[in-house]
Amino acid sequence: MTTVNTTWHHIRRSPIQSFTALILMAFSFILISAFLVVNSGLSRVLDYFETKPEITIFIKDGLDNSVIENTKKDLSTYSGIKEVKYISKEKALEIYKQQNKDNPMLTEMVTANILPASFEVTVSDASVLEKIYQNYATKTDIVDEIIYQKDVISSLLNWTQIIRKSGLLITLVVIVISFFSVASIIGMKTTNRKDEIKISRLLGASNFYVKKPFLLEGLFYGFFGSLIGSILIFSIILFSKQSINSFFNPVEFISNNLNIYGMAIIAEMIFGCLIGLLASWIGVKRYIKF
Amino acid sequence: MKIVFDHVDKNFGLITALKDVNFTVDQGDFVFIVGPSGSGKSTILKLILNQIKTSSGQIIIDDIDLSLGRKEAIDHIRRQIGVIFQDYQLIMDKSVEENIALSLDIISFPKDKIATKIDEVIKQVNLNSRRFLFPSQLSGGELQRAALARALAIEPKIILADEPTGNLDAENSWNLVKLLKDINQKSNTTIIMTTHNQEIIEALVKRRIEVKDGQVISDSAKPAKETTKKNTHSKKHDHS
Repeated sequence: MTTVNTTWHHIRRSPIQSFTALILMAFSFILISAFLVVNSGLSRVLDYFETKPEITIFIKDGLDNSVIENTKKDLSTYSGIKEVKYISKEKALEIYKQQNKDNPMLTEMVTANILPASFEVTVSDASVLEKIYQNYATKTDIVDEIIYQKDVISSLLNWTQIIRKSGLLITLVVIVISFFSVASIIGMKTTNRKDEIKISRLLGASNFYVKKPFLLEGLFYGFFGSLIGSILIFSIILFSKQSINSFFNPVEFISNNLNIYGMAIIAEMIFGCLIGLLASWIGVKRYIKF
Repeated sequence: MKIVFDHVDKNFGLITALKDVNFTVDQGDFVFIVGPSGSGKSTILKLILNQIKTSSGQIIIDDIDLSLGRKEAIDHIRRQIGVIFQDYQLIMDKSVEENIALSLDIISFPKDKIATKIDEVIKQVNLNSRRFLFPSQLSGGELQRAALARALAIEPKIILADEPTGNLDAENSWNLVKLLKDINQKSNTTIIMTTHNQEIIEALVKRRIEVKDGQVISDSAKPAKETTKKNTHSKKHDHS
């Protein structure tokens, strides 16, 4: 009788315990997979906002080129500036048309004249934003309006951090619960099979020989639990990808790259096997001491 | 495999199960251990199997002192011993066939030959029609034969049989003893068998170690004088 047969025999002989272990493991990996998807989506949202200009200064119409050039130079002199980009009226129209290409009604009625020129300033040091804002808010002769995204980003960052931290915490708690549940279930199964273990030892079975089916059982729960959990959640997410992405538009919250999901499933299965093996090892070690 | 009991004592708490037991069993010996119930016969077999440890003294099998041997060495010795336990010690949720297969798997018997080996031993003990049944579905005699089949399957160097005829009718008892005798002669397998069955003991004319109150009171392999002398000495020692 091979170890695989013995393991399968153990699983079949106590179906409720086996089912509980498998479900707990699958549930953990549903949460892990969901956490991975949400985390990666949030990173995309943050990246989107972080790559956007952090302060936009709309300037008044009819300014001389020299004024525009001087303003650009002045903005570049601030320390911590990453880029100062001048968006002319024509460029603004081009961007507007690109953003609304699916809605020709909106683009037909707009001309470059009604759109303001602006400076888009991205920074590496957020503290400079406040200085620029303070200085340019008073230059009413050249500045029409200033849009300052600092608050939006920091608030988004805070929320993202909270979601990430609480997601990580919940996932960790569930992993710990399923880890100890699998360890207890394997421990119970070991106790239930103490006669079989004793007989096997008397027939000359090594310690490892009697432990092997239980370790393989833990591996089974880890392998199939992670497979079921990850495939289930990734399937649901890919199925509802369009509606999720349209909600976060223009950010691609759910990636279209299927390789990422394949790699995530493999990584989760390796992690699941490790958890299952370690949990069963602890469970067996506690009860098989002879 | 030579088995040496050297001044072996075994106590269970305040109860003395064995006291100063000395004997040697050489490879190929057929030995009966006889004595009344509770005399320590099964304890001797359990000690050989290292199922329990000695309180003092040494048991040496194949030049390995069981009390000092590493786990791996003990496992190796156990894999060469076929045991027929008094209470059968069959795994209840495995069929007869699976119980035999387990013992073969433990000794790393070639996987492709396991089925053939099972067929062979099942025929030997006449359990063909019961091979797929579970121990709970077997009678006492059938359980005994299933345990025998498991012991024989591994082609052991030693067979320990604890009251193997206890649950068998006369015919099956003689068949079993005849089988053990054949194995002993053909394969030079050491047989150590505890029994109450005087008819069998007398019919086989084999070495007989008699145990009473945990002490060896006679060993037919040794000169009668020596055993008696030793006994008298130990009794004197007890009184003092």
